[in-house]
Amino acid sequence: MKASAVAYRLLQLVPVLLGVSVIVFLMMWLTPGDPVEVMLAGQQATAEQAASLRHDMGLDQPPLQRFAVFLGNALTGNFGLSFFHRRPVADVIAERLPATIELTLAALVIALLIAIPLGVVAAVKRGSLFDRLATVGSLFGVSLPGFWFGILLLIPFSVNLKLLPVSGRSSLSCEVAPITHLLVLDSLLRGQLACAGEALRFLTLPAITLALPTAAVLMRVMRASMLEVLRSDYVAFAEAKGLSPRRVLLRHALKNALAPTVTVAAIETGSLLGGNMVVETVFGWPGLGRLVVESIFVRNYPLVQAAVLLYAVTYVLLNFAADILYTRLNPKVEL
Amino acid sequence: MSRLKTALLLAALTLPTMAHAKDLTVGFTLDALNLDPANHRVRQTETILRNMYDGVLTRDSQMKVVPELAESWTQVDPTTWEFKIRKDVLFHDGTKMTGEDIKFTFDRLTRDGAMDGQTSPRKDLVGPVKEIVLVDPYTVRFVLKEPWPILPAMLPFQEVVSKAFVEKVGTAGLATQVNGTGPFKLVEWRKGDSIIMERFDKYYGGSPAIPPVGKACVDRVIFKMIPENASRTAALLAGEVDIAAELPASDMKRIEASQNAKVMKVNGTRTFFVALNTTKKPFDDPRVRKAANHALDKKLVIDRVLLGTAVPLNGVMSPDAFGYNPDLPEYKYDPAQAKKLLADAGYPNGIDVTLDVEGPFKEIAEAVGSLLTKANIRTTVTVGEGSTIRAKWAPKGEKKGDMYFTSWGNGSLDPADIFVPTLRTGDRGNSAFYSNPEVDKLLDAANTELDQAKRAAMYKSAQAMVNADAPWIFLWLPQDIYGVSKRLSGWQPSADSKINLHDACVN
Repeated sequence: MKASAVAYRLLQLVPVLLGVSVIVFLMMWLTPGDPVEVMLAGQQATAEQAASLRHDMGLDQPPLQRFAVFLGNALTGNFGLSFFHRRPVADVIAERLPATIELTLAALVIALLIAIPLGVVAAVKRGSLFDRLATVGSLFGVSLPGFWFGILLLIPFSVNLKLLPVSGRSSLSCEVAPITHLLVLDSLLRGQLACAGEALRFLTLPAITLALPTAAVLMRVMRASMLEVLRSDYVAFAEAKGLSPRRVLLRHALKNALAPTVTVAAIETGSLLGGNMVVETVFGWPGLGRLVVESIFVRNYPLVQAAVLLYAVTYVLLNFAADILYTRLNPKVEL
Repeated sequence: MSRLKTALLLAALTLPTMAHAKDLTVGFTLDALNLDPANHRVRQTETILRNMYDGVLTRDSQMKVVPELAESWTQVDPTTWEFKIRKDVLFHDGTKMTGEDIKFTFDRLTRDGAMDGQTSPRKDLVGPVKEIVLVDPYTVRFVLKEPWPILPAMLPFQEVVSKAFVEKVGTAGLATQVNGTGPFKLVEWRKGDSIIMERFDKYYGGSPAIPPVGKACVDRVIFKMIPENASRTAALLAGEVDIAAELPASDMKRIEASQNAKVMKVNGTRTFFVALNTTKKPFDDPRVRKAANHALDKKLVIDRVLLGTAVPLNGVMSPDAFGYNPDLPEYKYDPAQAKKLLADAGYPNGIDVTLDVEGPFKEIAEAVGSLLTKANIRTTVTVGEGSTIRAKWAPKGEKKGDMYFTSWGNGSLDPADIFVPTLRTGDRGNSAFYSNPEVDKLLDAANTELDQAKRAAMYKSAQAMVNADAPWIFLWLPQDIYGVSKRLSGWQPSADSKINLHDACVN
């Protein structure tokens, strides 16, 4: 991988982010609704109050000037005050981001743990009942809406069996001093095993709900690439050499078939971030997705703008990571 | 082997957590945005804060305004109110509260730019304040620019902060720290997840008008944020929360059927009505307006569409409000009478009219429309965007519509805050364009009347006049629904949607 290629990729971020900024700003500006009106919702509000709020929010300036202020702020990492929290946007996002990262990572791990074995077995036993069940199952996985599937999980595991908590991220009895702000990891690092277990209990249902559609997609990719690899000459050659089927599968076929799956997984992580918005609401997970949804409803422009920029940066970086991974797994390809 | 491992792991993960001795958990919808009582304009944030901060005044379970941090209050003249402040109140940090803190709190709320350059979004909830005067260390006067009889009714919405503390931590610090006078103090704010509070042992006891007076009953209170309705219900059924706020009506049956929880309902503060355009045909004729009132089977709509979660109204005020007139005659459901009144008014074949409504209330407006149609008031429901419809029905608008399905909130539970704006000639929420000089006269007199009994009497006779004129189809007052664990005692839902947990106990 050449340094110039990396630099080029990073440079590409600039027009992308500028474009995203313009689009977000325009969309928020064109959407009907007025944050001042939302905030004062009701009748006990004077024109004076509305004017002073509008001033505090900077909405008394012309749109172009507001956009310039937003861009200038974004460059310095200062996104101003959230209209409704009336605290710095950067603080509010920083409070919520670790929960989202934790949930996304957990979902990614679960998705890979489901998708890779299922995909491999389905490919090896192509056309079998298992294969057909897995393929139909993946269709369900992609199609089931998260809010519905989440509640479907809640009823047996949380309400009837009371095995797992309904909502939230942390147990009240656990106080873990933050290191990475990822609760499971921090509890382990601090040696609070009981708290790590507690944190895992809270994480289980939302992570599974979030993982399901991704697992389904990855399973299909895994199955397809495995099928292709199994048909290739070097696998036939390895078999002809008399290597055990297990060794052929794991050493020769799987390693090569993983490349496309891992790449797709990196890109799918972006859609996990989107799925967060629903799952976090169903499970009361205190993450960024829920915050963004709430903010869109009340027209909290500064927060939505900052969060969308953050999503865009993440997405671009994930794509970049996918490309790098691909070159590592498949040396024939260069950046 | 691996199955055994999984089973062991599962068992380890599902060990019951050590519950605190006396924890009370509330399943709540929306996290506090900011812990500064002056720096938000969101009901849910206030509900949370009200357990850590007390106000000058508060409300008892009958919604009567009673003193809290104040000992007593008097109205000196129409624009001056005087409050005697308690001398035994401590902030959570152990410092004493005085009139100085009260003056500071309300200066901060009402002065432009008083919060590190910003103006409090709650400013106009305190009314037209001219100045706050400290008469002596425990006497504070509110001097207003103009008469505003609902000042005491609005003061329960504001909480008192410590002057010294705010000067130390600033507005930025107060956004995440609490030093109040309330029954609970802040332990931890897990943002987006929960707010944990514990009992304040040096609490002065709360309002003497709301027994029991003394420290809070439970050790800790936890507000747990569960935004999704179905999940909140699930948390109640699983025993994870003791109170589930804003329960959807459709979940009431499930809760009632469970062994450990029940449903509690309380009247809200928002009056729903159909405004009838009194300035043009056909609703310029009172007989047609009365016909519309007789034509609607209100009970049917409440039972079937609202699942019984509303009380019918014959006027503008909530039954819990100051000056409510309980003797207003009811327009009984009577389609024959409706048709007769229409014929008397010169419409023997009925009328064709439109009913404007905003998106969220489309279904219920359609139910109303179809019932009216049955009594020959053939109604077409038109759904529109909020700001467009409000402009159409603004008192200074073109007055072109026929009927408007709408509502008006009355958080103060005082007529000055709903009766005046919706029914005084030309006032800002008068969508029926109703004008009755007799009613106006009574409303104006009540606005400056110091004798509360006389004031109530004026509103009562004005309500009778409005009932007779029927500028609206009088509809209903929706109720708030809570799911409550049976282990909870000493708590009642409150019409102002606060969840005050000072007196609540758990077994």
